[in-house]
Amino acid sequence: MTTALSARVARFPFPFATDSYRYSTNVEPARRPTTTVAGGWGSGVLDVDDDYAAELAERRAVLAADPTRCQELPHMRVASWDALTTLLPDLAALCPGTTVLDRDGDRWTWRNELLGTARTFTVGDDDSLPEGPLAFLGSQIQEDVVLLDQREGALWADAGLVTFAADWSMGFDVGMRFLEVHGPVPRVHETGVIPRAEQFLMRLQPGEEYRRTNWTMTVDRRLDASTETYAEWGRDRRLVVDDPALPDRLHLRVEVQHLIRLGVSNAICFLIRTHLLSLRELATVPEWRARFGAVLAELPDDMADYKGLTRFRAAAVDWLTAS
Amino acid sequence: MGAEHTSVPRWGSERPAPDPSARTVLLVGFGARGCAITTAWSADVPGGRPVEVLAADDADESVLAVLTARIAGARVGWRLMLAGPEVDVLAARAVALRAGVLDAEIRCAVTSTDRKRVYCPHCRTTTATTAPVGEETPCDGCGRRLHVYAHVSRRAGAYLGFMADAEEVA
Amino acid sequence: MTATLTAPDALRADDGRLVLEVAGVVDEVPGVRTLALRRPGGGLLPAHPAGSHVVLDCGDRRNAYSLTGDGSAADEYRVSVLLCPGGGGGSAFVHRLAVGDVVTASRPRSAFAPVSTARHHLLIAGGIGITPMLSHARAAVRWKRSFELLYGHRPGAGAYLDELRGLCGDRLAAHGSTAEMLAAVRAALADQPLGTHVYVCGPAPLIAFVEETAAELGWPGERVHAERFSAADLDPGEPFTARLARSGTRVPVPSGTSLLVALERAGVAVPNLCRQGVCGECRVPVRSGRPLHRDLYLSETERAAGDSVMCCVSRSVDDELELDL
Repeated sequence: MTTALSARVARFPFPFATDSYRYSTNVEPARRPTTTVAGGWGSGVLDVDDDYAAELAERRAVLAADPTRCQELPHMRVASWDALTTLLPDLAALCPGTTVLDRDGDRWTWRNELLGTARTFTVGDDDSLPEGPLAFLGSQIQEDVVLLDQREGALWADAGLVTFAADWSMGFDVGMRFLEVHGPVPRVHETGVIPRAEQFLMRLQPGEEYRRTNWTMTVDRRLDASTETYAEWGRDRRLVVDDPALPDRLHLRVEVQHLIRLGVSNAICFLIRTHLLSLRELATVPEWRARFGAVLAELPDDMADYKGLTRFRAAAVDWLTAS
Repeated sequence: MGAEHTSVPRWGSERPAPDPSARTVLLVGFGARGCAITTAWSADVPGGRPVEVLAADDADESVLAVLTARIAGARVGWRLMLAGPEVDVLAARAVALRAGVLDAEIRCAVTSTDRKRVYCPHCRTTTATTAPVGEETPCDGCGRRLHVYAHVSRRAGAYLGFMADAEEVA
Repeated sequence: MTATLTAPDALRADDGRLVLEVAGVVDEVPGVRTLALRRPGGGLLPAHPAGSHVVLDCGDRRNAYSLTGDGSAADEYRVSVLLCPGGGGGSAFVHRLAVGDVVTASRPRSAFAPVSTARHHLLIAGGIGITPMLSHARAAVRWKRSFELLYGHRPGAGAYLDELRGLCGDRLAAHGSTAEMLAAVRAALADQPLGTHVYVCGPAPLIAFVEETAAELGWPGERVHAERFSAADLDPGEPFTARLARSGTRVPVPSGTSLLVALERAGVAVPNLCRQGVCGECRVPVRSGRPLHRDLYLSETERAAGDSVMCCVSRSVDDELELDL
């Protein structure tokens, strides 16, 4: 096992606390360092790892091929500036030395040696940052960003830069209410999880930060698993079943989602950080192998179906539980 | 199950009445049945309130342009009522929502849900179809067979489609 | 997803309150005092949406005061307080403060933010209700939003008038007579472009006038916003005692301390996650006593059954609540 692999395992946010999984409003305060059997994660709201440059290059490629992954309704410009000015200081603190933020009132200078970025802009002055604050933010962090506006007693997904969606489309969902975005998710309605989550988010006060995890599975280290590219990756769900490389190709995909009430615009900033670990990498931690095998075997069929696991689920369980 | 969370509009079995608190009302009827409804509505608008009625066969560019102009000149207290096939009502509603009209200021009566527009995320074109939700229709843009999904964009006035046989192909 | 058993010494250290130093005191007009508040030792204070307020500890009570800045992160908060001779003493506390005094306050709380989709913002302020509108107007100027401000005040007692004239220009209409003000409000409500939102803060009769007139003129409620400080924000709850049935221990739960925190401090580990009443982790069984439910998790039926309580936010109706712990 190489050093890079073990670092990935050590930092992996393994999401299962028990041998079964159901939907819940599993929010907890952010920035709680979480210890796992293999290492730990979770000290900050942003996460930079060894794949930083590669993932941002991939984001650029996705956006160049399909600009609809970045959406910003006109009234969300203030929120976009707010997200940028809230998170750049966080990134500077996370990577001191390689990133530098200099603030002179509203005149900000940003240097990022990891990417070779050097920009100066004036907060709120659109002309000083032509690509827009949301796109610029997305060029500096591995996370996907969704900005929710709060009005009329609801949350609205009115802006976002999402290049690594797991089977949804920011381009289609932009402008939907929170409840509408989650409309197609089955079973979750009976338990009231989504309305409770929305109520919780609407009560967040400026500066409050929470987080939760979400999971699914992806074939290959494919970050862009969006509805847009489904035509390309859909077949892999079937093809992987008979592939001897299955344990290297099938990945547990975990999203660490941070939920932040932005201080100036009052928008909710939703950061989605995607982590992929192959079954073989996962299996280097025996507890994880056993637990994920149990979760997958026990998962109700409709949930497995919604998560897109049905075709390869049995093969995955077989491999995980083989001694 | 989960009706209140779905993005697919549920129109209800009863036709809405004009909002009694409205100060001025714009009624837009699409097709013969839609226009019959707007005629009934204009009789129900509280007396003395200005009412304008637009009639069109469908939500074409010219009627949507008139709607846009009316919204730009309207004052708070204005209400919009739309009647006709779902595909036209959704298109007109999309224009109104994008112009800043609130859900609370719009009431809709849908006469049929046969026709719909389906958005293809693979080639990003929108196709008109009569396929029901859950079934398939070919995409005008890329030719793929699209599954018509129970997910509707209020901004686009369209259903989401995705490649129906993506997991089958070699 | 991880549910944690929080050991007492791993409690969150602060309850989110800010420690602030009085950096300046200005008597705007008779009976209205403005405080400038900074961090002792300097540094930026948290940014906040326009219309936010902070809850200040005023001796034995807590009062909410609107922040008057535009909301961008700055090193100073300003609040203006009206001296209320017949009040409960909170404003008297403020009026006794001097430069250098230290006060504690909540972080900014937002209940009156501008609607981002509004085509135009109609701001209506009566008396000391001008304070959140000053914040709204400043933010509107900073972010180039369309707005107008109607300000009704007692003659000679219009706080911030000069500053507002400079900030708003002809977008400000100030009225020294109630009759003039109400007529101006009605005229404004009768003729706003569709897309406008109206915001009002001031004495209850003004708020009632705006809400009733707006409704009469066809404004949907979604376009009308009034600043009222909710009792829940300020309500730390009555003290009570939690009796632990299995050990017989009695745990006092003071006003301002949650049942969860009181239990943790007493060495009782309770599973918890969100600590905000939504996730369901901290549910504890109730043997006797009536829970005062403040959560978002239990159903109506479960609440009525009274046999469990979400201890991170809920409290007790009775002086003693017996828990099966």
